[in-house]
Amino acid sequence: MGYLVDPENWKWITSGSNLKFILEGFLVNIEIALIAMVFALIFGLLLALARLSNNKVVSFIAGAWIDVWRNLPLLFILLGFALALPGALFQAWEELVGKSVPIAFQSGRIVAALLGLVIYNSAVMAEIMRAGIVSLERGQGEAAAALGLPYWKSMRLVVLPQGLRRMVPATVSQLITLNKDTTLISIVAIREVLKHTKTVVNANPFLGDFVKAPPLQAYLFVGLLFVLVNLALSRLSQRLEIKQRQATGTKVESITGIEDQVAAPA
Amino acid sequence: MGDLFAILTRNFDSFSAGFLTTCRLVFVSFAIAMAVGTLIGGLRAAPSKALNRIGAIYVEFFRNIPLLVLIYIVYDGLARGGLRLSAFVAGTLCLGLYTAAYVAESIRSGVFAVGKGQFDAALSLGFTQGETLRKIVLPQAIRTVIPPLGNLTIAMIKNSAILGGSLLAINDLLLNGRLIANNNARYVQTFFWAAVGYLILTGAATIAVRVLEKRLVIKR
Repeated sequence: MGYLVDPENWKWITSGSNLKFILEGFLVNIEIALIAMVFALIFGLLLALARLSNNKVVSFIAGAWIDVWRNLPLLFILLGFALALPGALFQAWEELVGKSVPIAFQSGRIVAALLGLVIYNSAVMAEIMRAGIVSLERGQGEAAAALGLPYWKSMRLVVLPQGLRRMVPATVSQLITLNKDTTLISIVAIREVLKHTKTVVNANPFLGDFVKAPPLQAYLFVGLLFVLVNLALSRLSQRLEIKQRQATGTKVESITGIEDQVAAPA
Repeated sequence: MGDLFAILTRNFDSFSAGFLTTCRLVFVSFAIAMAVGTLIGGLRAAPSKALNRIGAIYVEFFRNIPLLVLIYIVYDGLARGGLRLSAFVAGTLCLGLYTAAYVAESIRSGVFAVGKGQFDAALSLGFTQGETLRKIVLPQAIRTVIPPLGNLTIAMIKNSAILGGSLLAINDLLLNGRLIANNNARYVQTFFWAAVGYLILTGAATIAVRVLEKRLVIKR
């Protein structure tokens, strides 16, 4: 305990460019989480609609696709893409972007990382959205049909706005999980916060003016950064959930296999 | 693609050794998560503000920190602080403590989901305090807690891959699959079989949860 809180062991934060470099890495994680979430929302909605389709073949294929991807470990998917995708794809990306993007996005492996995050999270989001749509009373869709609205119009104007609104808190929870999961892309050699911290811990002289940091304190500091941001997100999720329950009187559906969906306060 | 089955048969020992290690990791982490999670869930539901607070701090810390960062803290950080743990101990400890935060939350909501009226009714029927807890409250609480605990087990199976992929380098299904692929350079075929291994585990857990849910759960 003495070792942990000894001020000598915390001096590294204010030395050299340590703090700036770690925060820059953290920003990469946030950026990647947001980019992946936007794509996951788009593809997730398409997948959810395909799964709910009246066409049995489409529904079966979408269902199988969703169930396979969301039941695989995310790190396994990321490594699989990084190693099994053709290297030409990564080179094409590197030539395409050159030095026009932040350094973390210049490596071709970012394609594998983003692809993995989006495929996994769109499957999860599809399941979340499907639960939201299915939880809506049948009468809503039937009433829309009785009023003469065609399928797509009743989806767009009646079912989706209500069904998806119910899943906003679950979506924010998934964003927390996604935010944590972005650290996994350090394993496919993307320069994000953990890589940056490792650089500071080893005080790599080629990458900047760093002062050696003790790993326990350095990684704990990174952990606390995540706790801070995710805590704010989870407060937001809770508040949205309470508001929604007051408005609709419904409970958030739980979804199999996702850790963050179980925490709905009773 | 012609050698898809040859790759499974030629590397079967390595695949199955990795599969069993993943099972072992999940099993030990599950035990840690349940023990610590029940304890913290108890703190969260205890009639003392101070204990609630300690439980809340635990839950918020371990639920919001990335598992990989936790592994760096426990394995790399503590080792250089003087406490050297083996990769297996550090890995199962991290995964167990991490999942315990979620276990605590589901146990807490399970206990609160049993209405206060149940307690009062049992007491007025002449049950003692202990009997009420044992025969009325706990059986109901456990039933409401089973689906979320099943979810957590599935999430934990997936998270166990982080132990093999990280600096811990435990020879689980992920790492063994990676080593096989590095040897034969048949990435797609090798990863296909590792994926099958993971889907067997998560699929079996999903089916088990569904069966338990059907037989035990009381809808609220």
